Amino acid sequence: MSDWKELEAKSFYGASARERARGIVDEGTFTELAGPADRMSSPHLPVLGEAVEWDDGCVTGVGLIGKHPVFVISQEGRFIGGAVGEVHGAKMVGAFVLARQMYDRIKEEHPDELAERLPAVVISFETGGVRLHEANAGLLAHAEVMDQIQETKGKFPVISLIGSKVGCFGGMGFVAAATDVIVMSDLGRLGLTGPEVIEQEMGKDEFDSADRSLVYRTTGGKHKYIMRDANYLVEDTLGDFHDQLAAIMEAPYDEIVQCRRIGSEALVDEQLALAELSVEMAPKDARDVWAYFGNEDVEQIPEMTTAEFLAVAQRR
Amino acid sequence: MALRELNFTFTPDEPRPFPVGWSHRGVVGSGDMEVMFEQRDLGGDVQIKVCTPVVGFDEVWERVLDRFVRESQVSDAVIEINDNNATPVVVSMRMRQAMEEARKEAE
Repeated sequence: MSDWKELEAKSFYGASARERARGIVDEGTFTELAGPADRMSSPHLPVLGEAVEWDDGCVTGVGLIGKHPVFVISQEGRFIGGAVGEVHGAKMVGAFVLARQMYDRIKEEHPDELAERLPAVVISFETGGVRLHEANAGLLAHAEVMDQIQETKGKFPVISLIGSKVGCFGGMGFVAAATDVIVMSDLGRLGLTGPEVIEQEMGKDEFDSADRSLVYRTTGGKHKYIMRDANYLVEDTLGDFHDQLAAIMEAPYDEIVQCRRIGSEALVDEQLALAELSVEMAPKDARDVWAYFGNEDVEQIPEMTTAEFLAVAQRR
Repeated sequence: MALRELNFTFTPDEPRPFPVGWSHRGVVGSGDMEVMFEQRDLGGDVQIKVCTPVVGFDEVWERVLDRFVRESQVSDAVIEINDNNATPVVVSMRMRQAMEEARKEAE
């Protein structure tokens, strides 16, 4: 088997940030920018005696999907849980800035081909949000990335991929929610306050973070797909995420942004109606919500393969 | 306690110059490390710089790295390591992997 086929068959859940960055764009097209050789490690960690990484836990670069230049941001969960520090955040912002420059250039040089050459920013999240060792810089980085996402509106899509071990939590959960499209695998987890933090603050009766099944029912890919927080649910391989990205990029921009969860008055109303429903319904478990939206045999949903689930899932 | 930097220079008996411009491997996970090899004309020597939070194991580092150089005979390279409490076994394994892959790449 060739190296590329091996990479595409690899589990997204277990892949490193660099493998994901290479594997989600077309074969051999990924070029890393501000990579390890540039040695952009955190200036804050050494004084605290914490290990540093030359890419600061964030792989950035550019590749192609068809003719689309795709700016990739890929977070490494094994390095401080993928937490966002100053350099890590600056690299995320840098990818957005380059994507915008690319958009302007294509618009000028290839005005007739803007649609088929439309750039994208793709973020492969694996993070708990702010890196507490550099908290202020980390928070600021979140705000800057949010700003950057706003700057892309009306121009080109920002797409989230969530299927790695750490999941996507904390401030980066907000960031993911603000992107145009979210693609998850059933192993992906998305939320704001992480399971351990809820347990710590509210007690084990409220949320038992050791209950893996509960954690996945509440934050996992299948639940997020039913709730339409995730737009697409794919199998856990780099190739499946790559194919889904390619399919998304084939659609016109106006269609892609229909996937958004926030960003218009109608969507705000929709979210508020959901909040009202949750008060009315007072669900005790995600299964109650699944049943409410018309899913039968909710006990079986966690056991289903992705294909089985997609065949029967009733979404909000 | 700040991060510490350890510096070593070794002279292999039958130097085999590092075959590619540079090579990077590994992730600085807990108990793991990343390593960067860079080709540099050092007249048959090899320099290794370790950046680590660990205190009190300088001699172990020297022994593990000395053995790696003796086994691989790698020369004319600057090798840098970002360590996060990797054990000697992990260090040896990561160094060997990085070296093998660089030599494979050069073929």
